[in-house]
Amino acid sequence: MKKRYLLPLLLLALPAFAAEEERDATQIVRDAIDHWRGLTSYTVMTMVIHRPDWERSMTMEAWTKGDDHSLVRVIEPKKDRGNGTLTDENSMWTFSPKVNRVIKVPSSMMGQSWMGSDFSNKDIARADDIIDQYDHTILSTEVVDDMEVFRIESIPHEDAAVVWGSEVLAIRDDHVVIEHAFYDQDGELVKKLVSLEIEEMGGRTIASRQRMVKTDEPDEWTEIAVDEVEYEIDLKDSVFTLSNLRNPRD
Amino acid sequence: MRMLPVLSRLAWRYLWRNHRRTIVMLGAISVGAWAMIFMTALTRGMVDQMIADGISVIPGHVQIHNPDYLDDPSVSNRIALTDTELTQRFGDAGFDAWASRVRVPAVITSERESRGVTLLGIDPDAERTFSFVDYDAVDGRFLEDPEDNGVVIGAKLADTLETEVGKRIVLMSQDPDNDIADRGFRVVGLFHANMEVYEETYAFVGKRTAQKMLRIGDTVSEVVFVGDDYRDVEPVFQKVSAAVDDSVKVSRWTEVDTYLGTMLGVMDGFVLIWVIVIFLALSFGLVNTLVMAVFERVREIGLMLALGMKPMSILGQIIIESMMLLAVGLLIGDVLAYVTVKPLESGIDISIVAKGMEMFGASSILYPKLYMDDVILSNVVVLVLGFLASLSPAWRASRYEPVEAITKV
Repeated sequence: MKKRYLLPLLLLALPAFAAEEERDATQIVRDAIDHWRGLTSYTVMTMVIHRPDWERSMTMEAWTKGDDHSLVRVIEPKKDRGNGTLTDENSMWTFSPKVNRVIKVPSSMMGQSWMGSDFSNKDIARADDIIDQYDHTILSTEVVDDMEVFRIESIPHEDAAVVWGSEVLAIRDDHVVIEHAFYDQDGELVKKLVSLEIEEMGGRTIASRQRMVKTDEPDEWTEIAVDEVEYEIDLKDSVFTLSNLRNPRD
Repeated sequence: MRMLPVLSRLAWRYLWRNHRRTIVMLGAISVGAWAMIFMTALTRGMVDQMIADGISVIPGHVQIHNPDYLDDPSVSNRIALTDTELTQRFGDAGFDAWASRVRVPAVITSERESRGVTLLGIDPDAERTFSFVDYDAVDGRFLEDPEDNGVVIGAKLADTLETEVGKRIVLMSQDPDNDIADRGFRVVGLFHANMEVYEETYAFVGKRTAQKMLRIGDTVSEVVFVGDDYRDVEPVFQKVSAAVDDSVKVSRWTEVDTYLGTMLGVMDGFVLIWVIVIFLALSFGLVNTLVMAVFERVREIGLMLALGMKPMSILGQIIIESMMLLAVGLLIGDVLAYVTVKPLESGIDISIVAKGMEMFGASSILYPKLYMDDVILSNVVVLVLGFLASLSPAWRASRYEPVEAITKV
């Protein structure tokens, strides 16, 4: 599972370990991602894409396994039913039942919007780059609602395939990411993923509703709400194959 | 033939008997000749410039590629020889200049925009002499060596991407296994080209850096060679062909950019058509003038015939008249064209219509070019066609019945 932005909604937020040692920034980010990934997960979520003159929502189910494998499939609305996305390491495939074709997303399209949302294909396929392609530093530590919140600045390496000047994450002590902001190289905020609701689901505290807003267009946003989630379930490797993308088997 | 001096004198005198009409006609012919030559010079200049620009971007007069590269310029279609082998073969072969380069389609992304570009992995020193980018005119700096970690993009592209020197962008392409190959680069320089489309299309990175990013080891997409003269690339072509085997395709620039190659051929045909079109307009005036001249002189011609002048001499005289008229007109036109084109050869700024000119690949400064061949061609065409046009009135004059002609009121 490599979904940088889907990260928090699948985040498994185990109760903070008792150990109160001085944690370094990289470790905090790593923990947040490791905990969100879990070993496997199954999620039903609703994505709302909002524009000034229209809005649409889509319900999807998603399976993840380990670092690299994820499968997302649309259930609602009916006309999009069966549209799916499979990611594996750095590659990505889409399937649309209407054309009955599996298409490998070419590099030229990785920057484009994923299913019409404010997330790009790259956001979906390359989420865990944030661990090893960035340098992390703790900007501040504050206490909000009895919970320690680390504000971490992540600056991409010189040759990292990342356009942002920096990303700032606000991670709670229980590994819930409550904010993920993207700054350009002049230090201006470009877009921001905010956790609107945090609740306990599937046995873990997770961000159950998140919204991605672009600073330039505050009227345009994409919101993802988790309807149902299960962790550490038994998933076969065959779930994450092209044939399963094309022909769903339950 | 012995009549020629007499006829010529008669013709010349007649021309100046009605000097006002002659001057008007001379004016028309000179303006026509001037227009032909001037417009031809402009078009020649434009096409020459287009080809020069085009070749500098191709670049080189002869290129070698993988046989499939021209149809599908992907990273899979690389040259089978490694860069080291290429250097062994061509390093001391005596080309004016040559360079090997990685050339693949890529996507360039900034925080706000992304665009498709052609990624060029080059050895900056090898290409300095023939690159369309003037290294010294780059904002910031140009690449320093094949290992350079920076990227140089066009000023126009930087505008579109809302980026600038010192910021990072991401270049994304594919490796030979169709997996994504991407990397961040810091923009170290912005180049300027005389055509915006080049500034939007090319991103230069170091050759070694590109090879590492695309995971293609020591291989390249194309090798380019420059000879002395773009009009005659055969020597270079032969030399390159002899040094390689069938695993690569050697192409002349006319094959790499067929549009430009065709342009060169079309141009000669175009000049001829242009000259003929102008002449057609001109010929109505010419024939009309001659017909008038004949009508006006019916009695005179009748008298000459009655005195024993042969009809053929009458015909000859009319034709000589028209030839003289044309010759003088052409002479004035040629001189006029020369004095107007020469001062403009340093360039005409037509940046008002730059966008339109760019659509067919010409830049916004026009350098007219006067070719002797074009001048000779237009003069010869006018004289030949003028001769044909004057045949009819001359023929008519020579057929008059002397008695009828003399008594005509």
